[in-house]
Amino acid sequence: MIRHLFKLIWNRKKSNFLLMTEIFFCFLVLFGVMSLVVYNVRNYTKPLGFEHDNVWLLTMRPSADSAALNHQKLEQVVQQVRAYPEVSHAALTNSNAPFAFSQMTDNLSYGNKRSSQADHYEVDDDYEDVLQVQLSQGRWFGPEDNAAHHKPIVINREMQRQLFGEEEPLGKLIPQNDSVNYQVVGIVDHFRGYSEYSAERPAFFTRISLQQSDKSFWGELLIRVKPGTGVAFEEKMVQEISGIGKDWTLEVATLEKMRQNKSKLTMVPMIALGLVCGFLILNVALGLFGVLWYNISRRNGEIGLRRALGASANQVYRQFIGEVLVLATFGLLLGVAFAVQFPLLQVFEVESVVYFLALGISVVVIYILVVGCALYPSRQAATIHPAIALHEE
Amino acid sequence: MITLKNIEKVYQTKTIETVALHNVNLHIPKGEFVSVMGPSGCGKSTLLNIMGLLDEPTNGIVEIDGNPISRYRDKELAHIRNQKIGFVFQSYHLINDLSVLDNVELPLLYRSGTSAAETRRLALTALEKVGLSARTKHYPTQLSGGQRQRVAIARALIGQPEIILADEPTGNLDSVMGEEIMNILLDLNRQDGTTIVMVTHDENMAQKTERLIRFFDGQQVSDAKTNAYDYQKV
Ligand SMILES: Nc1ncnc2c1ncn2[C@@H]1O[C@H](COP(=O)(O)OP(=O)(O)O)[C@@H](O)[C@H]1O
Ligand SMILES: [Mg+2]
Repeated sequence: MIRHLFKLIWNRKKSNFLLMTEIFFCFLVLFGVMSLVVYNVRNYTKPLGFEHDNVWLLTMRPSADSAALNHQKLEQVVQQVRAYPEVSHAALTNSNAPFAFSQMTDNLSYGNKRSSQADHYEVDDDYEDVLQVQLSQGRWFGPEDNAAHHKPIVINREMQRQLFGEEEPLGKLIPQNDSVNYQVVGIVDHFRGYSEYSAERPAFFTRISLQQSDKSFWGELLIRVKPGTGVAFEEKMVQEISGIGKDWTLEVATLEKMRQNKSKLTMVPMIALGLVCGFLILNVALGLFGVLWYNISRRNGEIGLRRALGASANQVYRQFIGEVLVLATFGLLLGVAFAVQFPLLQVFEVESVVYFLALGISVVVIYILVVGCALYPSRQAATIHPAIALHEE
Repeated sequence: MITLKNIEKVYQTKTIETVALHNVNLHIPKGEFVSVMGPSGCGKSTLLNIMGLLDEPTNGIVEIDGNPISRYRDKELAHIRNQKIGFVFQSYHLINDLSVLDNVELPLLYRSGTSAAETRRLALTALEKVGLSARTKHYPTQLSGGQRQRVAIARALIGQPEIILADEPTGNLDSVMGEEIMNILLDLNRQDGTTIVMVTHDENMAQKTERLIRFFDGQQVSDAKTNAYDYQKV
């Protein structure tokens, strides 16, 4: 029977051509959207590597005072913030705080190995406590690094894998430039600071030491407050800090709020694409339904004939369902041939498994779609009375 | 082979009620070649459909090989049609997108347990019987009306049915082609003993069969052996 259906569809390929192309394009669009969705969902389900609840970001833009003066005031501010009973920890960071719209990328090299684009986070000793970063090996930065010969560096697993492979990473020296080396002091398993939807990529942390760089300024202070701390404290804190840094521009945001904003950046286009794709699928579904419906009245004679030759109503039903499945298979074969080029050619830096998952999901969705569209017309075809279908004047 | 008892067929539409068959009693013995004649609309096709289990009588009993067919489920009816009955229609009812060979094979598609190779062999044999061995790869649209009807007959006989129901098989054909078809049917009846019920408008054709039943307005008006009957049986 399957052979018969393939033959029938193949011989009718001219009249089925439009449907097959429709299914083909529908599949391609679905595959594209599904790749994106699978990519995002897979990233989303991976650990972030930090805890952002109850963490605020205080952004400070200094006045036109001298660098030395601003630096001095910054030291005062940090001291002041850490002293509040509502605050458990506070840490300076470069502008690429978690969920901020700022990225700092760099590469590291070790011997002849060079990492791919990596996130560079410049942070201070309290960063570990503020974000509750989990170290899987070694330690975070601390006062003992003040006297260290090399600059301390913490890297993530991905960076370790790229630079050292299976070798023991702790204590390894990584050149920063010709004269200065980083020395690996700690490893974190995961750290994805940019977005919940971004892929895991190599990352490293270098140390901010406020005391040792007396003209520098860092404008971002991450603050972990005790649970339940609210706006009242925020207002009080901002007011007192503006007393120290006169004419500074101050802004406080919760990481949770920033996370939501960042998430919109991914979700909005994804939902928009999803809607477009949904409409397209609906369109194809309606078209398919219409054509199948129309075909049944056109094929009255054939249905009657098959019934006369010994097909039961159920067999007619199954034949019509089978036909759309075969039709979809032709469209899908072409579509899959296209789609597998993405993982094969590695067009984007995306794991192949993302494409294969998207491919599988799309194939299943298309099959369900066509069968869904065929159910009613096929049921209709099966209920056609053979004597009436064969009636000739 | 087929027995009809007190068959009544009424088509009920919203506005009118058509009595297509009224009080039809018939017995078609095995191996007989019967023709049915009557003016258009007198119920001949309805009669064939009821004999062929494509339609149910409003009243009355249909018996096939002595078994009354009633309360049969769709699947069982389909099975009997597939095993015992072959149909030939005035307008051939070939599937244009299938080759001659595939068209002929259709009935066996609905019969489980016949291998593809065996099906092919049977189809070729059936086509040989109707003299179309040279046209197996052709498509119906590439054939003449007479050839198409021969394909349809090959399709009707591939399953080796006990009875063939032919509804005006020569109705769309000129007399020469009609003659060819008639001869094939006669051969089938004589050589293979296939029971045939044929509706026709052609008195000459009817006279070549053994028995002629005339219908008028849904009722049998005559039922008699033809001259050919004596000739054949002697
Ligand atoms: N499906 C149907 N619905 C209503 N009336 C029908 C139907 N089929 C046949 N008839 C009517 O039944 C009568 C007999 O039809 P039919 O058996 O086709 O006649 P014949 O084959 O002798 O020309 C006709 O009056 C026809 O209009
Ligand atoms: Mg008729």
